[in-house]
Amino acid sequence: MTTTSDPTEVPQLSTEDQKAKEAYFTASQSQLIWARFKKQRAAMIAAIVLFVLIVSGIFAPFLSPYDPTIAGRNKDYTNGAPQIPQFCDKNGCTMRPFIHAVERERSMATNFRWVTTINEDVRVYMTFLPKGDDYHLFGFIPGDRHLFGVEEGFIHLFGTDEDGQDIFSRTLHAVWTSLQVGTIGVFIAFVLALIIGGVSGYYGGWLDGVIQMITDAVRTVPAIPLFMAVAAFMPPEMTAEERFFYISLILGFIGWPTLARRVRTHLLTERNQEYVLAAQLCGASPSHVIRRHLLPSFTSYIIVDLVISFPYMVLSETALSFIGLGLKDPVSSLGVMLQKATSADVMLNYQWYFIPVLFFIALVMAFVFVGDGLRDAADPYSEANK
Amino acid sequence: MLNFARFVATRAVMAMITLIIVSLVVFSLMELVPGDCAERYLAFKNTQGSGISVEDIEQERARLGLDQPFLTRWGSWIVNAFQGEFGDSCILRVNIADLLGDKFWLSLSICLASLALAYAIAIPVGIIAAASNNAFLNNSLRIVSYLGLAMPNFLLALMIMLFATVYFGNTLTGLYSDEFRDAPWSWAKFWDLMSHAWLPIFILGWSATAFALQTVRALMSDEIGKLYVTAAAARGVHGRKLLWNYPARHALGPIVNSLGFDLNRIFNELPIVALILVLTDAGALLIEALARSNDQQLAGAIIFLLTASIVTLNFATDVLLAVLDPRVRKSIIR
Repeated sequence: MTTTSDPTEVPQLSTEDQKAKEAYFTASQSQLIWARFKKQRAAMIAAIVLFVLIVSGIFAPFLSPYDPTIAGRNKDYTNGAPQIPQFCDKNGCTMRPFIHAVERERSMATNFRWVTTINEDVRVYMTFLPKGDDYHLFGFIPGDRHLFGVEEGFIHLFGTDEDGQDIFSRTLHAVWTSLQVGTIGVFIAFVLALIIGGVSGYYGGWLDGVIQMITDAVRTVPAIPLFMAVAAFMPPEMTAEERFFYISLILGFIGWPTLARRVRTHLLTERNQEYVLAAQLCGASPSHVIRRHLLPSFTSYIIVDLVISFPYMVLSETALSFIGLGLKDPVSSLGVMLQKATSADVMLNYQWYFIPVLFFIALVMAFVFVGDGLRDAADPYSEANK
Repeated sequence: MLNFARFVATRAVMAMITLIIVSLVVFSLMELVPGDCAERYLAFKNTQGSGISVEDIEQERARLGLDQPFLTRWGSWIVNAFQGEFGDSCILRVNIADLLGDKFWLSLSICLASLALAYAIAIPVGIIAAASNNAFLNNSLRIVSYLGLAMPNFLLALMIMLFATVYFGNTLTGLYSDEFRDAPWSWAKFWDLMSHAWLPIFILGWSATAFALQTVRALMSDEIGKLYVTAAAARGVHGRKLLWNYPARHALGPIVNSLGFDLNRIFNELPIVALILVLTDAGALLIEALARSNDQQLAGAIIFLLTASIVTLNFATDVLLAVLDPRVRKSIIR
């Protein structure tokens, strides 16, 4: 802003400008951030993509036509190619999307092996809101309606894997798994970082020195080998849910040092400000000063840091599951789904195994762009450069 | 000069302390694994047909020194570790130093090669990008940097393998051709290694390159706007000379400092990329040790070695920076 004078002293301003100015000066912190965030096209697009992905993750059981586990498998269509709904075929067009029926046979002619063929003369029409596998939305709302399906048989938008599980359904559930793991991991890392970084930055002195030394030492250890070492202790008889929480816990426990450092740096610069001294002179306890005065002063920065560290959690989980030390099969996760994709057989014949990768790149990219956009928006000095 | 020696000594001590803290973490992790070496040795004997009792296990523990308190064992482990001696793996029943030996040096060379590649690309491209106003160049660099983050190396490796198998019918895996696997070192073997190693080097360097590009560009654009650059330009220095002799030298410090973290990033990806590309070096051995057999001695040794290389590199860059950058040198030798 170039002028800081009272708007009433500048008579040539139209009323609209005046209103805009008043809105600017009376806006709250979050309104200002939102206004700056809206101006960035890339970040806005990423935010929309992210929103769509999160919603489709939350409503995955409803949006996906089948159960993602072995229960929802189509045993007659294993390693099946994606089926794309169409409106037209050689027999003409219809208003309703359909797919062609799949027939599976084993006879003399096929050398007694199961061979799947597409019968282009038989149409299977898509239906909306059909009854299907039972599920629990948000874990407790029971339901059995799915967004779409077909009249008979199965539809597999992204094909199926070697057990006949629908890759589309698994992808949506995997997005949800990643979001959950990331959220829990970031939350644990955040609480740890807040405590450790808070103590370190607030007290300073030798305590800060010691804590920094330990933090730096932990930071030098390559994280993924360390993840692997910790994850290897999981007893193999753990259930899928226990594994899930254990993995999130490990991610949080290993991810804190970077965040802790940021918290400490913020605190170190803020704690010498006058308002902290004023609070201390009024007899406020250290924890009160940290919670009520220091933390609010950089909440926006912390939120940005959390958004930025989110994709690392997601990627670490994927890497861990991929090598077989993370989540295991009944849970859908990108790493679990890619485990089978390294064989030459899959690469040569069943490339649709890789479709979920696109979703994950989109998810991670969206988080990175939103994080960058938020960082720019949360910085009150960034406007000078714009 | 004396001050400089004191600076180097302080840094060396700091590096040692870091390593000792790390070794404590690693050693505690090794201890947390259920079951110790004595039980494993005797479990093995049990499969050979001889019966075992609790007393046998206690005896074996005493023989291996496992009955000592935690701190004593940690002490002896760390003293041995600094001498490059990690004892025996009680699952594979071989000496870990012998087992790792060449494999560790090979993976370290591959990682350092990726690091060198990353900076060989990032420094010139980053400097040019910072100096130019070309929107297309800057935007494409931004996208590459974001892709470097969003596309972890193992996904990149998978994608490259996917294309290689579909279009060339060759998975590009492994480090040696069959005839060279057990051959002694020679130029032919070296060339064979190089013809296979470029892919892992490129893949491992991928995200490090993206990050380094981002860093170099940001540092350079900060420096280019400063007054001393304008002053130099006003004196008639221009073109490449202006760029390399003024802002580039100032931006050097943080770049040298970021080397250690980039090596960390590369080590992060090493085990998984090694698994996908079927490289039987230390990285793949780590997965082998952890995922398949829960071999805590081997895993601990590998993690310790990886961290030790990072700490050594950090120490080297600190000293290098003091030698290169007169500002840092001045601040030490006061």
